[in-house]
Amino acid sequence: MKKEEFKHQEYKYGFTTDIENIKAPKGLTEETIKFISKIKKEPEWMLNWRLKAFNRLKVLKEPNWQKPKYPKINYQDLYYYSAPKSMKDKPKSLDDVDPKLIETYKKLGIPLNEQKRLSGVAVDAVFDSVSVATTFKEELTKKGIIFCPISEAIQKHPDLVKKYLGSVIPISDHYFATLNSAVFTDGSFVYIPPNTRCPMELSTYFRINASETGQFERTLIIADKGSYVSYLEGCTAPMRDENQLHAANVELVALDDAEIKYSTVQNWYPGDKDGVGGIYNFVTKRGACRGKNSKISWTQVETGSAITWKYPSCILQGDNSVGEFYSIAITNNHQKADTGTKMIHLGKNTKSKIISKGISAGKADNTYRGLVDIGSKAFNSRNYTQCDSLLMGNKCGAHTVPYIKNKNSSSTIEHEATTSKINEDQLFYCNQRGLNQEEAVSLIVNGFCKEVLQQLPMEFAVEAQKLVSISLEGSVG
Amino acid sequence: MEQLFNFNLEKVPNSSEKEALDREKNLKLFLDYGFPSKKDENWKFTDLNFIINKNFKHITNNLDFELEKKVDVIKDFDHNHIVLVNGILKSSNIKFEDEGKVKLEGLTSITDFDYEPNNNLSFLNRALSLGGFNLEIQKNYTCKKPIIIYNYFTSKLDNKIINNSNKIKLNQNSELILIEYNIGEKSKFIKNTFEKVIIDKDAIFKNISIQKKKSNGYFYKHISGSQGHNSSYQNFILTSGLKLNKVEIDMNLEKENSNCFILSSLFLGRGEHQEIKSKINHLTPNCKSYQKIKNVLEEDGVGVYQGKIFVKDIAQKTNAYQLSKALILNDLAEFNAKPELEIYADDVKCSHGSTSGSIDEDAIHYLMTRGIKLSKAKKLLIKGFLNEIFENIPEQNIKTFLENSIEEQIEEI
Repeated sequence: MKKEEFKHQEYKYGFTTDIENIKAPKGLTEETIKFISKIKKEPEWMLNWRLKAFNRLKVLKEPNWQKPKYPKINYQDLYYYSAPKSMKDKPKSLDDVDPKLIETYKKLGIPLNEQKRLSGVAVDAVFDSVSVATTFKEELTKKGIIFCPISEAIQKHPDLVKKYLGSVIPISDHYFATLNSAVFTDGSFVYIPPNTRCPMELSTYFRINASETGQFERTLIIADKGSYVSYLEGCTAPMRDENQLHAANVELVALDDAEIKYSTVQNWYPGDKDGVGGIYNFVTKRGACRGKNSKISWTQVETGSAITWKYPSCILQGDNSVGEFYSIAITNNHQKADTGTKMIHLGKNTKSKIISKGISAGKADNTYRGLVDIGSKAFNSRNYTQCDSLLMGNKCGAHTVPYIKNKNSSSTIEHEATTSKINEDQLFYCNQRGLNQEEAVSLIVNGFCKEVLQQLPMEFAVEAQKLVSISLEGSVG
Repeated sequence: MEQLFNFNLEKVPNSSEKEALDREKNLKLFLDYGFPSKKDENWKFTDLNFIINKNFKHITNNLDFELEKKVDVIKDFDHNHIVLVNGILKSSNIKFEDEGKVKLEGLTSITDFDYEPNNNLSFLNRALSLGGFNLEIQKNYTCKKPIIIYNYFTSKLDNKIINNSNKIKLNQNSELILIEYNIGEKSKFIKNTFEKVIIDKDAIFKNISIQKKKSNGYFYKHISGSQGHNSSYQNFILTSGLKLNKVEIDMNLEKENSNCFILSSLFLGRGEHQEIKSKINHLTPNCKSYQKIKNVLEEDGVGVYQGKIFVKDIAQKTNAYQLSKALILNDLAEFNAKPELEIYADDVKCSHGSTSGSIDEDAIHYLMTRGIKLSKAKKLLIKGFLNEIFENIPEQNIKTFLENSIEEQIEEI
């Protein structure tokens, strides 16, 4: 690709779609919450649950221990609900969906329509605040798999939602999680029945379209005994001068012998070269390995957002349960990322593995912050952590803040971290063979990230590899 | 509730009116927050407020400095000695060195002891400090023998707090080995020390601290320092046997080619808690820092390592390394680590490693198949694990002495 073409690639998802929106009244009030609950046709217990979170929020303070500082967010100046008008009466099939929306998704490359059926991905696309369409419903229903917007699950499967919602991230958890509990608008709900292997990758695409809105989606995935599911999540947003808030909650529950694989490619708008605009991505993701021999694996490629602040975690409660975390965080220009994981070992013979690759260029700051905690009853547990950072230029920063706690004599924790720059010899070698500086860097960085990229499902791996190259555009030479 | 402490400023001698006012001001600042608790990130793993509340009542500031009996000196190797009683300079004998090359005096005033207050204990120290010592090595002088500081603590220290401030300066191209040797009676006290270390161009400072036998002391020491061109600072922390010990080192590598080593091997037993917290600031290019912390934890011992490497954007070619290793022998024991990197320069080599776990079963098996009993095999492996730190001490007689003292502790298991 020529350099000129490359430039145009900067943020190809930066378009907006002209769609009329229905918005909740501005501001964070009880009225707003009631409005959201009403428009979603929620039962009373759900509204009470939201109000409980809202009351809790009043006494909570925003955390300020993190490395990336941001200007104070005026929570009263945000829209908490924004939905495309044509969605008011839910479409029965894809034909009923506003063609403009379909156009947007085409631009995004989501396999929403029939032609893409071959790719075998079931998609739940969340546009601003509502789920637009969920494909492949029939096939999944046959197997007893529930994959639907969470607002639908609240109405149709209240027992499951009541049982598991807030069981991993309690409503009083921390400021942004509680905010989400109070005002969450939509998201995905997945339930895999016992001894079922989900036949296809499930996928959600999130997009913030309207301005001055925050996106607060909530995802709940339950893998019942002996089941398996792989879930993909992608995110984009238009280019805007103001910062937009995205505070999602994702809860995973794995019961006995179940496995959940959760992959994210996060490409929210990162702001322009001077750090104007961009998404604040303050997300709470947590999985509980409740059952014996259960496994939760998080894979994330974080290339977008002005500020990324998230720690997908695993609570390893069941004996022999396994937690994994594979992460690539790339920051360029003025982007800031503070990300990592928490592995909390409670059960016996629990294992966790953390591979984190941080790449920092321009004037960006990239922090790995993580916790490995082996409790006194987690006999024979193991953890292995590796965090590598790559720095490009001396105006950016790479930081590592691991917390390591071991209270058990039969458990082993290993942690290593390195920080370096791109090897001059490798660059020289590539240049010699006719690759220009940019191609060479992209090749080397992809190699640096390989361990994580390998973990991604095929559909995402190709996109992620391209993203890695694009994100670092203009950072060398 | 009973009062935890009652500090009396009246009997604290002041050199000037200003000092008296300064003390009052700092005491007020301390009283606002009291002893730091785990809510403070720096004290996350060592909840000082909790520990002190659990073990002390009616804490008062110590004003008694009478030496009760003669201090047993180390006979293993020749050395100069300084005797401190409850932190105050009592006597000294720098017999092996040339006259005028080693300057030693008691510090009584805190006015000329300048450090940036950085935590609540520094306010307390500034309010109550009775001084300590001021040690200076002249330009181009290499001390012929090590200096041992006999840190003697009397039997009348129950529920007392000692506050000291010391200064150590090594002028250009000088060299010193300073061994701090704690000896004490069985009293239960708190010691809060602030130390300022200045190492000029080409100077080498080796600081070793050891504990003679188990003590009921609760120690906090804050070392802040700066290093000149091509200088070297090596700190060996070997103070096994204290109830509580937190050493905080804040070292600025201000000029090129300087290096800083923090090495520790500790054996922590029942009710013992030690923390090493370091912040090595790489402010110029081509500096090196190396930290290696080894802990063996028995019973309910708690070991903590919070290390931070900071690399400024201009500090290219920095080489920094952190390693913490812990052997956990009992399920009640605990090891917490937070090895932190904050890096703003790209052409650097920074890495850290941290492991914690039990003794290698294979190694024990190997030794037992060769006829060594389980307990002996364990001791042998522990000794090997801790002794590695001493490889960095080239002085053979000091090394042997340290190895012997570690062996004594291991034999007690």
